[in-house]
Amino acid sequence: MNIAYELEMKLRPPQKEMLPYPAKFITMASGEKMVIRQAKREEIPLLLEVIEPLIKVEKDFYDIVAARFYAELLGFFRYRVRDEYCLVGTIDGVVTSICNGRLVNDDLGMSYHTMTIKRGLRCGAQMFAAKMEYHIEILNQKEVFIVAESPIGFRRWMIEYQLEPRFHVQHELGGVPTYVLTRDLYFAAKERLVTGTRPVPEELLKTSDTLILPEEYPQIPGWHR
Amino acid sequence: MKKKQLLKEKTSNGVRKVGVVGIGHTKFGNLSDYELVDIMAYASLNAMEDAGIDGGIDQVIVGNMGAGMLNHQTGIESALVSTLNLEPAMAELVSNGPASGSSAFKMGYMAIVSGMVDVVLVTAGEQMRRVTGWEATDFVATLSHPEVEYPYGLTLPAFAAMFTRAYMAKYGLTERQLSLIAVKDHLNAEKNPFAHVQLPVTMEGIADSCHASVVNSYVSEPLRLYHMCPVSDGASSVVMCAMDGAARFKKKPVRIAGIGSATDTHCVHNRKDPLDLKAVRLAAEMAYKMAGIGPQDISFAELHDAFVILELCLAEEVGFFEKGKAIEAAEKGETEVSGRLPINPSGGLKAKGHPVGATGISQIHELVKQLRSEAEKGRQVKNPKYGLAINFGGFGNNVVATILAKE
Amino acid sequence: MYRVDKNVYAYKCPKCGQLHYPAPMRCKKCGYRRYPEQEIEPNFQREGYKPWEKTPLKGSCKLLTYTRLWNLPIGFDQRYLDFGLVEFENGIRASGRLLVDKPKIGMKLNVRVGKIKEFYGKVCYGLQFVKS
Ligand SMILES: CC(C)(COP(=O)(O)OP(=O)(O)OC[C@H]1O[C@@H](n2cnc3c(N)ncnc32)[C@H](O)[C@@H]1OP(=O)(O)O)[C@@H](O)C(=O)NCCC(=O)NCCS
Ligand SMILES: [Zn+2]
Repeated sequence: MNIAYELEMKLRPPQKEMLPYPAKFITMASGEKMVIRQAKREEIPLLLEVIEPLIKVEKDFYDIVAARFYAELLGFFRYRVRDEYCLVGTIDGVVTSICNGRLVNDDLGMSYHTMTIKRGLRCGAQMFAAKMEYHIEILNQKEVFIVAESPIGFRRWMIEYQLEPRFHVQHELGGVPTYVLTRDLYFAAKERLVTGTRPVPEELLKTSDTLILPEEYPQIPGWHR
Repeated sequence: MKKKQLLKEKTSNGVRKVGVVGIGHTKFGNLSDYELVDIMAYASLNAMEDAGIDGGIDQVIVGNMGAGMLNHQTGIESALVSTLNLEPAMAELVSNGPASGSSAFKMGYMAIVSGMVDVVLVTAGEQMRRVTGWEATDFVATLSHPEVEYPYGLTLPAFAAMFTRAYMAKYGLTERQLSLIAVKDHLNAEKNPFAHVQLPVTMEGIADSCHASVVNSYVSEPLRLYHMCPVSDGASSVVMCAMDGAARFKKKPVRIAGIGSATDTHCVHNRKDPLDLKAVRLAAEMAYKMAGIGPQDISFAELHDAFVILELCLAEEVGFFEKGKAIEAAEKGETEVSGRLPINPSGGLKAKGHPVGATGISQIHELVKQLRSEAEKGRQVKNPKYGLAINFGGFGNNVVATILAKE
Repeated sequence: MYRVDKNVYAYKCPKCGQLHYPAPMRCKKCGYRRYPEQEIEPNFQREGYKPWEKTPLKGSCKLLTYTRLWNLPIGFDQRYLDFGLVEFENGIRASGRLLVDKPKIGMKLNVRVGKIKEFYGKVCYGLQFVKS
């Protein structure tokens, strides 16, 4: 066995077996059905392409979120982040929004980022809700650490879920004050904020088998792939 | 042109006739990258181009509600004149909450009628997206009474919701029926290039599917997200002139047939009947009287549906339908673009957006566009003669009605 | 001084008896003028002027309509707040905070004065409607 390979294996973090996020779909205001499912590792290069154009969009802090998201997914793909996952939301196969996070241990989740490409349908809110559902209901965790990097995020997460401020603990994303979603808070907010139907009818699920890159970004007027 | 000559064309009661000869509009939505005055200048230049003029403005009137608070900028009327290089045109700011636009229009009309000026540029604009949603909500709430309403955390959506609840209790209206209005408005807005939300929504998506209560969540019960307007930036502008001087402009004028306005108690609780929108009724009656017509003569209307309930109630107050009956007409499709009496063919505030101070002129822009038969395909009302706009300030405490007519 | 007056008042016109909430500067019925100095200057007097009488808004009232507001303006960090519009037995109407579990139009309520807002350490008092 060659040395480089051996070293690489040493650098790779051990990966926990994670229960997969069971796919669901949500009927959006337009009547379109958004499928939310777990992204596969081999889909990450495509997701990096989805994110890349947004890295230089200053407005609404897309730059910060996109640059960090890119790095996190790259780290996931090249085996440098431990126990990470990524959920993807698609309408007719086109990626509308993505979110990711990580398991710190069995009880604690670390929410990373949520990003919406298609705007106006509030896909992001549904993705964030799905992420919380994953941590609390599927992975059965006790708490999720959350930070917001934009005012919109703050309003959507901290206020909507009435997250508990816990500023003395450090979130992995760095300096921003940490807020916590507990099981109680999740279940209190669930009826109002979390929805979706399972299982996804086979035909509908198939539409999301092959992820499609968005052609346009409302955040970058005039841009076309 | 000489004053004497201009004063020749008068209506039967001896008042000078006034028309709109140019209209301009910016896209509504999030324009926070731009400067407010530039947004207004953009719409103004569009209106001047449409009129075929490059100057020759006697008076500029600006409609705006909150630049002092939202942009930390005052004197926007002078700033606008200057960036357009229209000095020494006279310039004033007119403010009347979310009805600032129509009030500015009314002042423009009065200025021409008085004989003091001949050509007026009325531009209305607002930029609400430079501040956060909380601040925008708070900003609009400052319209309410500073002692007995505002400190409680009451907002315009809350007043609208309480109104809706009482209306539902009295007339049996349902949340689902409110969604029908939203669907129609979004359908119209999809075809309006200036609209903020160009997204067709469906009954399945916002009312009928098992996900709808989350996707279309409550903002103020019983009103949900899709039952109210978004927070928008934008501007709209018109060039108005004395009818007898209208020939020198590029397009045929659209005549101002009637204008009315009225106020009601500042505190919502002090209305005799909480469901009575008296100022709307009085403003409309005044405008009808001036135009010499009645509700039955109106071909289409732009009604201030910041909350979809208002589309129904305003339609009732202006005499289109009996109280409690507007929804039946909507359900029969009468208020669709192809219906007997189209309402909000622009998409309304609901979907076209509501940059508060700009809305009144945006409504008038739509009346002119329709009366000239220049509206986009699928959105043009068939052969309209009279268009009515209702611009609603506060929660109904200062209302302006405008009727325009095809000459 | 510094003591908060935990009452909310209706104002009675000394000439015709009409009740107002909030206090106007001029009676809506008879046009009688109010001098707000009567609130500010302890010994305010003016020839021929009868001060307006203040009566605390209290007792029972009827709920006319209500809402639960989920999008609060800046200055409030609750997830939602309930509001109601009520009518008192003396005919005065008012809006305020609603503190009942299952509100119903027409239900009887009682009123009390309580904290409605705290902003940078400043406390605001106002009407709260509670179960009767
Ligand atoms: C309903 C409301 C609370 C939603 O605010 P929010 O959750 O902060 O929404 P956001 O600004 O994050 O909007 C996200 C997207 O959703 C869409 N959206 C927002 N509000 C919408 C609405 N009411 N209807 C349809 N779509 C809407 C927009 O497409 C928006 O995208 P944009 O950023 O490109 O504009 C807010 O729009 C509101 O307060 N409306 C009432 C305004 C008002 O009272 N005006 C004065 C009346 S007199
Ligand atoms: Zn009196």
